Amino acid sequence: MLVQLKVNGELRSADVPAETTLLKLLREHLGLTGAKLGCDVGDCGTCTVIVDGESVNSCLMLAARAAGHDITTIEGLANANQLHPIQHAFEELGALQCGFCGPGMIMSAKHLLDKNTEPTVAEIRDALAGNLCRCTGYTKIIEAVVVAGRAMSSTDARP
Amino acid sequence: MATRTKDVQTDTEELVTATESRAPAKQPLIVPADQPVAFPLQLPEFSARLKTPAVGQRATRPDGRLHGLGQTQYIDDITFPHLIHAKVLRSAHPHARIISIDMSAAEALPGVLATLTGKEIPVNSFGPTLQDQPVLAAEVVRHRGDGVAAVAALTEQIATDALELIKVEYEPLQPVFDPLEALEDDSPKIHGGDTNVYTSKVIKKGDVEKALAEADHVFHRQFQTQAVEHVPIEPHASIASWDANGRVSVWSSLGRITLGREDLARTLDLPQSKIRLIGTIVGGNFGGKNEITNEPILAMLSRKTGRPVKSVFTRGDEFISSTIRHPFTMDYTTGVMNDGLIIARKIRLVLDGGAYCSWTATTIGKGSILAAGPYNIENLLVEAYAVYTNKTTTGAMRGFGAPQVCFAYESQMDDIAHKLGMDPLEIRLKNAFTEGSASPTSQTLQSVAVKESLVQASERFGWKEWQR
Amino acid sequence: MIKRGRGMACMWYPIGFTVAANPSAATVKVNTDGTATVLTGTVETGQGALTVLGQIAAETLGVATDDVHVVSGDTDTTPMDTGAIASRTTYVTGNAVVLAAEKAREILFEAAAPLLGVRPDQLEARDRKIQVLGFPAKYVDIATAAKHSENVLGCPSIGSATYNPPTVAMDPETGQGKPFSTYVYATQIAEVEVDDETGQVEVLRIVAVHDCGTPINPMLVEGQIEGGISMGVGFALHEEILFKDGAQINPNLTNYIMPTSLDMPELEVELVDNYDPTGPFGAKGAGEPTAVPTAAAIMNAIFDAVGVRITSLPATAEKVLGGIMELQAS
Repeated sequence: MLVQLKVNGELRSADVPAETTLLKLLREHLGLTGAKLGCDVGDCGTCTVIVDGESVNSCLMLAARAAGHDITTIEGLANANQLHPIQHAFEELGALQCGFCGPGMIMSAKHLLDKNTEPTVAEIRDALAGNLCRCTGYTKIIEAVVVAGRAMSSTDARP
Repeated sequence: MATRTKDVQTDTEELVTATESRAPAKQPLIVPADQPVAFPLQLPEFSARLKTPAVGQRATRPDGRLHGLGQTQYIDDITFPHLIHAKVLRSAHPHARIISIDMSAAEALPGVLATLTGKEIPVNSFGPTLQDQPVLAAEVVRHRGDGVAAVAALTEQIATDALELIKVEYEPLQPVFDPLEALEDDSPKIHGGDTNVYTSKVIKKGDVEKALAEADHVFHRQFQTQAVEHVPIEPHASIASWDANGRVSVWSSLGRITLGREDLARTLDLPQSKIRLIGTIVGGNFGGKNEITNEPILAMLSRKTGRPVKSVFTRGDEFISSTIRHPFTMDYTTGVMNDGLIIARKIRLVLDGGAYCSWTATTIGKGSILAAGPYNIENLLVEAYAVYTNKTTTGAMRGFGAPQVCFAYESQMDDIAHKLGMDPLEIRLKNAFTEGSASPTSQTLQSVAVKESLVQASERFGWKEWQR
Repeated sequence: MIKRGRGMACMWYPIGFTVAANPSAATVKVNTDGTATVLTGTVETGQGALTVLGQIAAETLGVATDDVHVVSGDTDTTPMDTGAIASRTTYVTGNAVVLAAEKAREILFEAAAPLLGVRPDQLEARDRKIQVLGFPAKYVDIATAAKHSENVLGCPSIGSATYNPPTVAMDPETGQGKPFSTYVYATQIAEVEVDDETGQVEVLRIVAVHDCGTPINPMLVEGQIEGGISMGVGFALHEEILFKDGAQINPNLTNYIMPTSLDMPELEVELVDNYDPTGPFGAKGAGEPTAVPTAAAIMNAIFDAVGVRITSLPATAEKVLGGIMELQAS
């Protein structure tokens, strides 16, 4: 089954079995291994990507369902010139340890900050509640989201 | 200089003698924002990495940058040409004899390239202390996570489907699940012999019975902790690949590759020089990725098929097949004087030791040594036993017994403080180690900081001022 | 009604394997421009070990963290290491890296000494320079020393070393002995709220003060403490593998409840000012100790709040409520 969709601004397509999830499509057919497989049933959030502006567990969405839609993955965050402020803040504050939860966590953070660059700590905890992290205890992640939000509200609009 | 034509020679001579460059003026490189790049042009430089001296700097991590870009290659992100996938069938019973394994239907499934059972593994046993665990169970299964057979196929889906076609005939054996039951004489002996106790530890100092008799107060309580799992966000994963020179390369999420290579050499009966073990960046370990799991299986399947073979644990596999933390049953009896000085402590630890030894010997050792807490106690007895049970293998998990015993000794400390009407901080300061104190094993301790941490934490918390 | 309580717990934890040999080997090579490479057989499991080992090598050579590249995790190319386990990496592998870097540095000192007109033992490596002790105005850049050593003298700057913590075997009858070279210590204090009608426990705040000797990278030590506390909170309140007839009935992340961003209390983390002369630049370790006292501190806080002594973990709402009701009945 041919699936065509926009990923990180590029038109991509692949011929995949009907039961292929969006996660498998990204990882195995489009070479975008940023989104991770942590549980495959939507419990851990490592597969989080953004579909038409909404954060989604890509292991729970069929590739066919994503066809024709606009997908943003971690690979599409930095542009040709700069790291995304979230990537910058996560690195600077040491919010990533083993990094496996990182792409999903950053996409969930982006989803939040794209709507609101000054979230409260409670709002941040809420937005990240679907992304499990075992290494960091979430503390530096939350700090990094606050810092990234400030950077995003003070600079010009970024995609 | 010799050149082909006179014109070229003139050009060359002119270039060589010219004093001004004729290269086009350097233009700044502009990459349109919608063109994919491997990394952005302007990368931040975080000054802590550039400063001397280096110790004490809040240096950012180079791997952190790649994590944020989604470029870190964990095992499951790595692929090779002709890579195939393996899955392992796990036991249907907690305790059973394997009568027969029929792989024929699985082998016949289109897309299945090879299968493996325990009998084919040259040395089918491993373990950091006791080599009591099979790579693939061949005669007896001792917990539901025991691997029984493996399949390598063109896709993960085919491999998973093939598992359902494997027919294993079991003769169920009497299981035992409770460690206290497993201690009893009439319990089934999971590894044979006449006891399920497979490792024990004693620490003895002074005369604990005499001191308990002399104490003003004796406190006793039993504490218990539960089985928990590491839950590394990255499941166990490995890839094995032979080359034409008879060397096998294994990429693994193992935390210790030197000893992993020894394990592979032993189980596969290969010289170490023929084995290359690569530890990539691991997505969390916490103790659960300190032993080989599927690596010898993948090596053998790779040799059989002539192709690289990958396997990734499902989240379910992570729970039932990788190791878990030892549940502890802890009896603490402590003799205390009226002024809060602890003069005696008697501790009995029973560890639910799961189906195989794994890191239990280390856990029982550390747990026993730490069990009395960071306190000066002259009369001490610690007796600890680890018992086999037909449940998930208990192994190394962040703390090796320390979280369990700390729960017990610190809970009892507050029980004592409460009974004597003492502040929890004061009773700890009264009994805690100082520089030069003797540990439970009579080691002279140096670089001690218990009291400092108690005082500093209390000040930061506002312990004395705190209102309910 | 919501009842508030506070509880503390202190702990001690060893570095390295119990008595048994657990060596690490390391190789340090200094390039002709004064930057360096470290080869280590350890594996980066997320804790930041490679960054820390790089900082340790950099400190020994007098260069910056960014001047050192760390290569790890390949039995073909990196020397043996007992592994990233038992909180041993900073201490054991770190000490091996110091010793290896010192050997490489000694070769630089031997090359620089005649250039400066002094003996090698009069030199130190600081701020990317090889300079004379007590007279820093007399120096050569580390690059000059490295290039001279390798390209002129034919002595490339390279050093390999091993380290194993000194222990004494434990007596089989009494356990007396010296099982570890060093230990770390810590206290955590928790503030909780207990709903005495449901037994629900919320951890509001945890203050954690940890000893790790010298923190080679304080940001990474904080990361370990915060991560360890999250495992401790899970161990205390939510996590449990449930067995029925030997089978796990919740082998998934829906029913095995590990802490999410919603479950983490406010954390205040501090380090004790301490220095262990047996460790690399005074460092000890931090990986596991951080997860040790959390559950105990929370249980003591529950006791302080509602007088219930939890004797089996996790402290589920049912257990806490059961304890509350028992107290009310008596």
